[in-house]
Amino acid sequence: MSAIDSVAVGFDGSNDSRAALRWAASLAASSHASLKVVHAVGLLEHAGLSGQVAPHEEVVREIAVDAGMDSSAVEWLVVDGDPCSALLRMSEKPYSVDLVVVGSRGSGEHSGSLLGSTSLELVEHSSIPVVIVPLQRSSF
Amino acid sequence: MMEGVRDLHLDDGITYVGAPEAELEALTRVHTTKYLDELESFCLQGGGDIDPDTYARSDSFAAARRAAGAGLEAIRTLELQGEGVAFVPVRPPGHHAEADRAMGFCLLNNIAVSAAALAEKGQRVLIVDWDVHHGNGTQSIFWDDPRVLYVSAHQWPLFPGTGRAQEVGGPSAVGLSVNIPLPRGATGDIVQSAFEQVAQPVIGRFAPDWVLVSCGFDAHRADPLGELALSTGDFSQLARLVRSFAPGPGRLALFLEGGYSARALRSSTTAVLGALLDVEVGLEPPTSGGPGREAVASAQTAQILAMAVLQDGGANSERN
Repeated sequence: MSAIDSVAVGFDGSNDSRAALRWAASLAASSHASLKVVHAVGLLEHAGLSGQVAPHEEVVREIAVDAGMDSSAVEWLVVDGDPCSALLRMSEKPYSVDLVVVGSRGSGEHSGSLLGSTSLELVEHSSIPVVIVPLQRSSF
Repeated sequence: MMEGVRDLHLDDGITYVGAPEAELEALTRVHTTKYLDELESFCLQGGGDIDPDTYARSDSFAAARRAAGAGLEAIRTLELQGEGVAFVPVRPPGHHAEADRAMGFCLLNNIAVSAAALAEKGQRVLIVDWDVHHGNGTQSIFWDDPRVLYVSAHQWPLFPGTGRAQEVGGPSAVGLSVNIPLPRGATGDIVQSAFEQVAQPVIGRFAPDWVLVSCGFDAHRADPLGELALSTGDFSQLARLVRSFAPGPGRLALFLEGGYSARALRSSTTAVLGALLDVEVGLEPPTSGGPGREAVASAQTAQILAMAVLQDGGANSERN
């Protein structure tokens, strides 16, 4: 297996995404890898019309540093698109990450439905390894 | 929308056609059976959020099938009459829906369903997308299909994140995805030049039998979701331009996509249909002077490079 130099993690502010960020940051810290934290912005959030509270970069950096990372190795990316497509693009240039990490369920997804599940769609379409972090096992 | 149509005072000059549910066979030309089954069952169970933008109710699958069916019916009517212009003002919109994914308010890709039906009959189809957002779904469905030319001018960066100039089509369709990403604030003269300078030469070589338009009105300056700066006068000029792409009468159909200002939807509808039907209507003046000339030039370069690859016999292209 080749070394992990760069990890991407999806982050929408939900508890699941926080667990995923903690796991990804722990892995990145122990592997001396860089971490790209990706927040995908949809149509409504871009226009400021979403009912959800947009996550903040400071929160992300705090979680990553608490997990053992140097803040300079953390990149906060706000990208347009649905979460799955945004994370799939992380495997392509110029990002070319080695691994994608997501929580089991994002803030816009409801329990019991397969449709629209970012984690499941990622597994189906990704050309690089995907890690799905369940909420109750957030420690690394 | 319909008030915008009524403002034309066409009376008996309008033929209203129904919106029957599209047959499954028509949908599976562009969507996977697995996705259609999942979407139907999701709706039948009551629906809910599909993503933070996209919501479905128990009757949404049927509504989406009727939206797709309306396009097919409009095309059928044009084929029978051999004249006129079809306008398909349906929701949910379609151009973000991919073969196996709903997104961006879209469940089924209405324009793709109609384009695929025409392509299956041996017709060459041009899709012009002037919605402020890139039509990622339409592009991905026809990415490697030499029967369909997809042309889009859109704000970038913006949802859905696709639509870079370097996205030119798959190995069997190099140069048949034409993307002109424009910066926020781009005015009508920029969008017009994007279609004229970048797309028109490709369209001339492609020689379409049909022209379908992803007719979003969210590039209007009053729209709350987009940041381009078009006026109704610009939409009028764009409408005349796309009409010139059609090989003859009865070969042009416009499908509503986005557009979230009720006032702009109404006045833009009147402007576009007025231009296509040669009806005099009041218009906001066309806009000019906004940013985007460099973006148009870059898109032109990307197309020239794509053609060079094609002429060299290579088949490498970049897909987002």
